[in-house]
Parts: sequence; structure tokens; C-alpha cells
Amino acid sequence: MQSKLVSFINVLRSHEVRISTAETLDALSVIDLLGYRDRDILRDGLSQALAKTPAEKLTFVRCFDQFFQFDTGAADSSRKPLSHTDEDAESSRGEPLETERPSLDLAGEMAADPSLRSQLETPLMQMLQADDRDGLALSIARAASRSGLSGIQMFTQKGQFTRKILDEMGEAMIRDAVLDLERRQSLALPELQGYRDRLRELVRDHVEREYLLQAHGRNRRFMDEVLSKAKLNNIEYHYQHQVYELVRKMARKLATRHSRRRRVYRRGQLHMGKTIRRGISQDGVISKLYWKSVKKDRPQVLAICDVSGSVAAYAKFLLMFLYGVQDVLPRVRSFAFSSHLGEVSGWFNQHPVEKAVELVNFHYGGSTDYGNSLLDFAKLALDDLHSRTTVIMLGDARNNHGDPRLEVMQSIYQRAGKVIWLNPEPRNLWGSGDSEMPRYQRCCHYAAQCNSLQQLERVVDQLLCYN
Amino acid sequence: MKTLDFPQLESIPAIQQGFESQGYICTREIATAVFLGFQLRKPILVEGPAGVGKTELAKTAAMLLTAPLIRMQCYEGLDEAKALYEWKYGKQLLYTQVLKEKLGDLLHGAKGLAESVERLHQFGDIFYSEDFLEPRPLLQALRQDQGAILLIDEVDKADYEFESLLLELLSDYQVSIPEIGTVKAKISPMVFLTSNNTRDLSDALKRRCLHLYIPYPSTELEERIVNSRVPEIDASLRHQLVAFVHSLRQLELRKTPAISETIDWARSLLLLHADHLDEELIRGTLNVLLKFQDDIEAAEAELHSLVG
Repeated sequence: MQSKLVSFINVLRSHEVRISTAETLDALSVIDLLGYRDRDILRDGLSQALAKTPAEKLTFVRCFDQFFQFDTGAADSSRKPLSHTDEDAESSRGEPLETERPSLDLAGEMAADPSLRSQLETPLMQMLQADDRDGLALSIARAASRSGLSGIQMFTQKGQFTRKILDEMGEAMIRDAVLDLERRQSLALPELQGYRDRLRELVRDHVEREYLLQAHGRNRRFMDEVLSKAKLNNIEYHYQHQVYELVRKMARKLATRHSRRRRVYRRGQLHMGKTIRRGISQDGVISKLYWKSVKKDRPQVLAICDVSGSVAAYAKFLLMFLYGVQDVLPRVRSFAFSSHLGEVSGWFNQHPVEKAVELVNFHYGGSTDYGNSLLDFAKLALDDLHSRTTVIMLGDARNNHGDPRLEVMQSIYQRAGKVIWLNPEPRNLWGSGDSEMPRYQRCCHYAAQCNSLQQLERVVDQLLCYN
Repeated sequence: MKTLDFPQLESIPAIQQGFESQGYICTREIATAVFLGFQLRKPILVEGPAGVGKTELAKTAAMLLTAPLIRMQCYEGLDEAKALYEWKYGKQLLYTQVLKEKLGDLLHGAKGLAESVERLHQFGDIFYSEDFLEPRPLLQALRQDQGAILLIDEVDKADYEFESLLLELLSDYQVSIPEIGTVKAKISPMVFLTSNNTRDLSDALKRRCLHLYIPYPSTELEERIVNSRVPEIDASLRHQLVAFVHSLRQLELRKTPAISETIDWARSLLLLHADHLDEELIRGTLNVLLKFQDDIEAAEAELHSLVG
């Protein structure tokens, strides 16, 4: 069972459940304590030892059911007969075939034709005829391990592996026999075809299951990598959920990476105990003061996101990113605008991400007016800006030839500690047509192109470093 | 290090029964966690929405085992001086004063500085010793002769650094005090940690614990819980009120009512001598269940369909 548990843990790991060696040992002692009698209790116990977040618990239950269902269905319930059939298969290899089943047509055909008989006199055929599920499952599992099925990576390999396993099992014989019978238009053909199809189905199922267990998780990671590099407007709606997960992961990574660096100590309350104790060596004369270190306020981040039509494809993801960031960084305020601007932090806090993004788009979507929106922003938040505030603008700076209200941007620039502009357009388009980017850029500490999640992560990472 | 034998914790059904006798209805999953935590001597990290009985679990365990419950409420800025130990610096100061007076007697007859220092060394250094140690909850839990239940409540509220402080305690039931050495538990306490998931706990902490997630209960379970906590309430009313709370949980609310709120509500209905739920009664007592004005308004708008 140990090896079974280890391979189960491998499966869990490939599905992004983080399991350490220590936890593997815990799981082993859990199994020792609980035994196998009650599957549900075992599942509860293992999930407590291995899966440590609600999301991981869901994955765990899914994997557990899949992994151990296969076990009970094919091998577990018949552990005893397994070794049994094994011997049977060994011993019957040399003996002539006696078909006990009423397969009269095929048997008659075989009796009449010795070459066909020699072709079909294999343990495999015997098992098929006797409908020996255990034996079949065992020989499939063996053939699968010989053909390296556990290394399956892509769904395109499924067919290939199915064929390999069938060949390993000696299905070629049956295939030839089928062709032979076909040529002779024998009555026994449907029966033999039935056996062949059954075998193929079994192998296909096995491969499918193995793919789900082994490769699905790995592919997920591959997809994540692809998605993080893809341009945001090219990502299809279908992947949105996955992207959100990715964004959250990214945001959390950023938050943990920078939560330490942001800690600054200042003089606060006097640490009486330490001060007196240190004074004892000087006969109780206090000569040096010690302070309780107090955390300095974390810098505040204000994010302003353009949600107008021209950047709609990006906006959705930028909002998701804001949502994710707001979840992990405590002091983020989010604003959205197209023709006018408003604060959306409240929605982000109250609603799930899809709903929040939808609400924002509904209330603030439309045609762009940067000037007006900047005024709104100034009215809402200008007084709250101070040297530790970072303002992030997410937008393409295309103002429909309206008044850019540079003076407002200027005042934001002067008050805030840092103004950062992230533009989804490539740098060489900045300033073309109605883009006000070069003028706004003068009022930014930092401006960058940003149109994939990876770029976004890099930019925000740098940004937090400067703080 | 020993553990105490508790016949109450010998099997999963026994745990369920024992907890039930203390008025805590626990699912098989919770019982499994307690069983494993006790047998493997591992801390149990309990997560779940607020008010599903995470803290209550530890309290009930303490009552069931008649062991002292040592509770440490976590908050931002909690440090080792408040969680582990502190030196009694006032007493230390007095000690040096006393020492100074006695010093003449002690060194009487010593020739030269070297001899005086040597003689001084012969006396034990009690300045940093157990006598001057002020134990805080974590250390207290280790020093209990009869074992203890240690509840580290809302560990997610404490700072990230505080978690590192807990690691040694959680894996080996010991703490290292630089001036004294390692203090090992006489009898390893049973540790419960609770978290409301306001932030992710570190992997290192999670790795050392069994992880139990308590979700909102099913209707049957919640009815049983209400029954054990407010046995006076009428069965049909109990059924109605639990069903209503469950339908409230389906709404998108800022703060979903938890079991504790259901129980409070059942109690208030009992006080009002209600025998069935109607819109007016609910409207009047909704503030027991919901704690935000937004939520109350949202629920009131849906009230008709919820009751019907």
C-alpha cells in the first residue's frame, strides 16, 4: 500500500496540491490508525493530513475518488483471484485450448482450421472468452507499464499509447484472425469482432484514466504558462476563470514577496522591560533607551482603470488583477472610468469577481474622457494622496481628442509618492492619433507597456521594489 | 514525553458520543480530526467561516477531558513577550539591589580581584532563571502537569512572524529560551488552532498541523445542533427557522449568518414565545441573524419569497 500511497501523492502533486515528505509520513500513520475498512473515514483522515486549503480539499476528493475507484473496481475487490489468474494464465499457456463457453461458431471454425486455432490459442483470447475481468485488467496494467504509459503528457498521445498497449498484449493475433475470417466471410466473425472491440474499449478506458490522473495536472501548468505569456486581448472568454486563478496566484506571490520589504521600523513606545534590564549592568542606571519596534503603515495603492470600449478586452483582465491584488494587499483602492470616474473598491470587497467586473463595466463603461475622469478622481481622492501613495493608471490614454486636463494629472503627480502608467499599447503607438500618452507620460514617474500577465507581474514587482 | 490516556478519545464513535454529551454535535469528519490529532499528537488547524463552532470545538474538548483550557487570542502585533514568556524585570531589579547589599558579606576575606570573581562564579546565576520567568499562555500550556488543551484562536490575525514562533512549539512541543535552554512539555498538550482565513497561513505552519475545514452544516445537522443547545424550542419551529437560515445563506450577503447566530435567534424566538415563523416576526428579529444594515435590507426585500 505504501507505493500505492506514494503514487497517489504524486497524482495529487501533479494536480497542484502541495505535499511535503513530512506530510507523506503523516498520511502513512493516518492509514495505520484508521485502517482500510471505512473508505469515507480514510478519505476524511487523509484529506486532513494532506490537503490544507478548501481548494486543495476539493481536488483531493476528486483525485481520491478517481484513484481509488479504479482500484476497487479492477483490482481491489479481487485481490485474491488476481494471483490466482496469474498462475492460471502461466499454466494454461502450453495446454491446448478448451472453450467452455458456448462459442460454437468460433469453436467450430477453430476446430476446422488448425492455423486459426493456433492463432487464437492465447491466454489473452482465453481471458476474453471467459470474460475474466481481473486477468484482463492485470494484463492491461502490465502492458501499460511496459509501454511507459505513466509518462503520458498530451491528450494527442492517447491513441498512440492505446495502440502500443494493444500490441504489447498480442492483439495483433486477433486482428489477423479477424481479417482472415472476414476474407472467408465466416459466421464466427461477429463474435471475434466483439471480443476485439471489448479489448480495445478496456484499453482505451485504462489510457483515459491514466491520462486524467497523470497528465491533466501537468497540462494545467503548461496552460498556465501559455496564458501568462499570451496577450490579454487574445485570451478567450473560455479561459477567463483559469486566468483569474492565475492572477490571484500572481497577486499573492507579489504580496508575500513584498510584505517583508515594506516593513520599516520607527521609534515608538518605550520598551520598559528591556531598558531597565539593560540598565542593571550599570547598577540600575538607565543609560540607553530601547524602543518597541512598531510597524510603519504600508504604502497605499490607488489604482485607476480605464474600462472604455477601446481597451475593453484588457480592462476585464486588469480589473481581475485589481480584484486579486485588493484581496491580498490590504490598502488598495480601485477606481474605474470611461467618461466619468468612481470608486469600485466596495464592489470588489462585496461581490465575487465575475459579478464585480460586470458591475464595473455596466456602471462605468462607455466612451473615454480622460479629462473629466481625472477631475472626478481629484475630487474623490486628491486629498488622500501623500508621499507614500502610489497611483497606478491602467489605460491607453486615447482621449478622443478631448481636453486631457494635464494640470489635474500634474497635481496628482506632485502629491503622490509615485505615479505609474501601464499602457496596453506598444510603445511605438504612443502619441499616434488621439493618444495623449507622451503628454501624460511627463506627469508619471514611470510608464510602461503592459499587455500580458507576465508583463503586468514584472511591472508591479518592480514598482513594489521602489517603495 | 508522555501523553495522557483518555478513554473518551479511543475511537471515532466514542468521540462523537462524548462531544454530544457535552452539547457539541460533531460530524464524522470533525471526530476523525480529533481522533487523529490525539493519536498522532498533532495540532489541528481548524478553518471555516466565522461562527461554525471552531473555538467551541476546543472548549468542548477541554470540558470532555476535564483538562485546563489555555486560550491565546491572536491579534496584530502579538509578540513573544505576550505569547511565550517575559522576564519579571521588576523582580530582577530588586534582586540586583539585594545582591549588592550581600556582596560585601559574600566576598569577605577574598584576596584580590581574581579570587573575588572566582568566588562570585561559585554562586549559581539565577538572574536569568525560572524564578524570574513570567510564563505566558504558550509556556503555561507546556508546564501543565495534567496536560492541557491549548487553543490558539484566530491565528490568521497575528503577524506572519508570529507563525514562525509557533513552529517549534507545534512540531516538538517545546520552546527554546536563549537564557535558560529548551523547555519541553511534561505532557504534550492537545493543540487547536483556528483561522478565519483572512490571510493564507504559511506552508510551514500548515505542514505541522492536521487541517480540518468546517463548512456550514446541513439542515439536519443544524437542527440537531439547535436541539441540543436550545432544547426547549418546539420541533416545527426549529425546522422552520433552520430552513429559513439556510435560505438566507443562499443570498449574497456580506456576513452570512452562522450557527451561533441561528442559536441566538432560536433563543430570542423562545423568549418572544413564538410558535411559528411569520414575516412580521422575522422582520422584527432579523437583526439577531444579520449584522449589516445592507444585509438586513437585502433580506427584507426577499423576505416574502424566503418565508413562502
